Amino acid sequence: MHGVAGTSGPGDDRTELLPRGYRIGDWEVTEPIGAGGWATVYAGRFAGDGAADGRGAGEPGRGAVALKVLPTAGLAPRQARKAAETARREVEFGRRSSHPRLIRLLASVVLGEPDLPVLDGAVVLVMERAERSLRDLLDAEATDGGVTDAGVTEAEGARLLAEICEGLAHLHRSGWVHGDLKPDNILLMADGSVKLSDFGLATELTGTRGTHGYAPPMGTFDYLPPERWKAPLGEYGVEVRPSADIWALGIMIHEVFASGAPPFPGATPMARAAATQEYAEGRAPLRLDSAVPPFWRALAADCLAPTHAARAAHTAESLLARIATDRQATEAEPTVGAGGDPALRGRRPWRVSRRTSRPSRRPTRRGRRTRVALAAVAVCTVGAAIWPYAVRGGASGSHGAARASGTPGATAAEATGRIRVFNAEKSCRDRTDRDPQCSLGLAIDPTRPYTIDNVVPTRVWHGDELAVDCLLPQGIPIIDEADTLSAVWYRVRLPRGATRPTAWLPAVRSKDHPSVPECPRPAPVTAPASAPAPARR
Amino acid sequence: MSGVVIYLPQGAAGAGGEPRGDAVTLRLGPGEVARFGRGSATSPVELRLDDEAISRLAGEIRVTDDHWQLSNLSTTQSYLVENPEGAGEYLRVPPRRAGAPIPFEFSRVVLPTRRNTTVAFQVFAPDHVYLDPDGLGDQWGSRTVTAYSLDETALYFLVLVALCEPRLRDESPVAVPTTPEIVERLKSHPACGRLTARAVSSHIDYLADEKMRISTPTDYGPRREARRNGKRETIVGLVLRFGLVREEHLALLPPRPGTGAHERETVR
Repeated sequence: MHGVAGTSGPGDDRTELLPRGYRIGDWEVTEPIGAGGWATVYAGRFAGDGAADGRGAGEPGRGAVALKVLPTAGLAPRQARKAAETARREVEFGRRSSHPRLIRLLASVVLGEPDLPVLDGAVVLVMERAERSLRDLLDAEATDGGVTDAGVTEAEGARLLAEICEGLAHLHRSGWVHGDLKPDNILLMADGSVKLSDFGLATELTGTRGTHGYAPPMGTFDYLPPERWKAPLGEYGVEVRPSADIWALGIMIHEVFASGAPPFPGATPMARAAATQEYAEGRAPLRLDSAVPPFWRALAADCLAPTHAARAAHTAESLLARIATDRQATEAEPTVGAGGDPALRGRRPWRVSRRTSRPSRRPTRRGRRTRVALAAVAVCTVGAAIWPYAVRGGASGSHGAARASGTPGATAAEATGRIRVFNAEKSCRDRTDRDPQCSLGLAIDPTRPYTIDNVVPTRVWHGDELAVDCLLPQGIPIIDEADTLSAVWYRVRLPRGATRPTAWLPAVRSKDHPSVPECPRPAPVTAPASAPAPARR
Repeated sequence: MSGVVIYLPQGAAGAGGEPRGDAVTLRLGPGEVARFGRGSATSPVELRLDDEAISRLAGEIRVTDDHWQLSNLSTTQSYLVENPEGAGEYLRVPPRRAGAPIPFEFSRVVLPTRRNTTVAFQVFAPDHVYLDPDGLGDQWGSRTVTAYSLDETALYFLVLVALCEPRLRDESPVAVPTTPEIVERLKSHPACGRLTARAVSSHIDYLADEKMRISTPTDYGPRREARRNGKRETIVGLVLRFGLVREEHLALLPPRPGTGAHERETVR
């Protein structure tokens, strides 16, 4: 990703522009942070009135700040104008925009140093101080080489991207395009929260319907959408639209989950730009790293739609909604556990996967959310099997009780209801040959991880009608192929001759809601001696 | 990355200079390939070079990253790739060499014939990237750069600076030099001794169409000359606005007769 040029070169003589302790407005310089493009950034601290007694240290600007210095002197007049233009965009943007996901501009100061020509007229932007950038985080992970678990976990990646998307949604809602979205401009605060920064290329949408704006012909190769390479340069610059930020977001989604690797192959930014162009012209497919989790892979693919027109369907707002839905589904699990057996609380949901038709107990890389496929779990299509009622927010025993009209006269030996098996894969629903690929499993113990060791030999198929005794509202949570989550299990009768009289069907495997009573909590079932301990977190 | 442009002048493919077909322009995107040679029903080629000394399938041009590669599919002939602006700079691609990377933005590919003549076509690679002058030596992969980069040692850049000179010197807010004025202005530059008005015009066209992809509001003008003037003014306006040509570049121009003292100090 980086050339052999290494880190700061000897050419950066402007890095040491400001000495430690140099006073800028109410702040003083503590140390240089970095230099790039037109600016040099320093760390600073509040040195104005009240600094000594520490009063109001929590207020914005009273603590650590970043001082972004855009020197204008020492440059030819036209370059100075360019730097000033960058500063103007940032100041204008900062003045009109404030959001928890955007780095806050606290002040802008123009230096007057007649004796120091290099500083005279320099514009200093005083901003909130971040701890590091997403680039730093990705670099640390890339250096690490995935040897340790220092990488971004799926949950952490999801949070970072959701917050980036929040910032972007706000930006686009307020009629701005960032124009230079990349990990270097995504800052991570001390509390871990994400803020977008660097609005030097931020553009306000104009046009008759506010669909586009014009930006200077600048950008960062790896994050430019393919159409930019062919965009004409007009009187006001190049046309930029929110879809350009969406493209950049797609690149970052991939980088976050693929240890910083960009989605397009190539050793240099030019090679990757060429690969991007090949993809956009339909000569090469989009190949996303398999380390990117399925939900995020789908999201990245939408962000990386090859044309503006195709990408325009995916706004920051719509992406944010999808992320929120996904996170709700994956994070609902503590809620489900609440009120139940404390031993079950905080238990991870077990995912029945449509992508693995073979038994697999291999945990995914680096302790990401473990997915466990049942032996010959059906290969299912996306979007099927929507669990018809919400189990979030504490699916309690009332679930069954509310419907428990019961079957009068039912004895303990008799099943109290019938339940039909539902297979989320449509092609499996259409066939009746009981193909093993389309079979579904039943658990031995619904409170233990749903692994191949915890499954009875008896298989069931779509449409099978099973006799059901009762329901367990707080078993191990199961996520199905459509990301539906349920901790509910039904105890069903197995046919005569089976190894056990009963087994457990996850509620996600049926669309029926039989009126059955709540089961007594099942006694722990010991795993067969031959099977290894299945629990892996 | 928009690829390369291959240009075969009119009649260039004909033996002995007699016109044998129209000029051909091919545009190739990244990863795309064009074959050249005499061609036949069984060896189709995209670029037909009609000379008996040239193989049916003589070679292949493949766009790679921001440059292109030349494969010499002949078993006996070497091909030359000349840099027309490189003061004799060229490279030889020996027989059977596969995928030789060509570093020139402008290239003239020369194939020998049997009659002491040659067949040649041109390849332009306008995607060559130049880093911004500030902050060199840093990690350039992830830095923000000007997306329209110009080779400041190329002839087209001299033409561009000459076009911008009156505005840069604040001599006239509107005047953009005409083609004859540019030829005159650059005459004393060592590289421009033989610069023709036609060459100046094609440099301007190349800048506007391939390098900056300028959208001119006057593109639909009725007269060609008016259109070209509109294009010039647009170019000058844009390169100055976005800092692609700056005061420091005036030093590239030959000194102006009688105004040497007027020459401005450059700051970098």
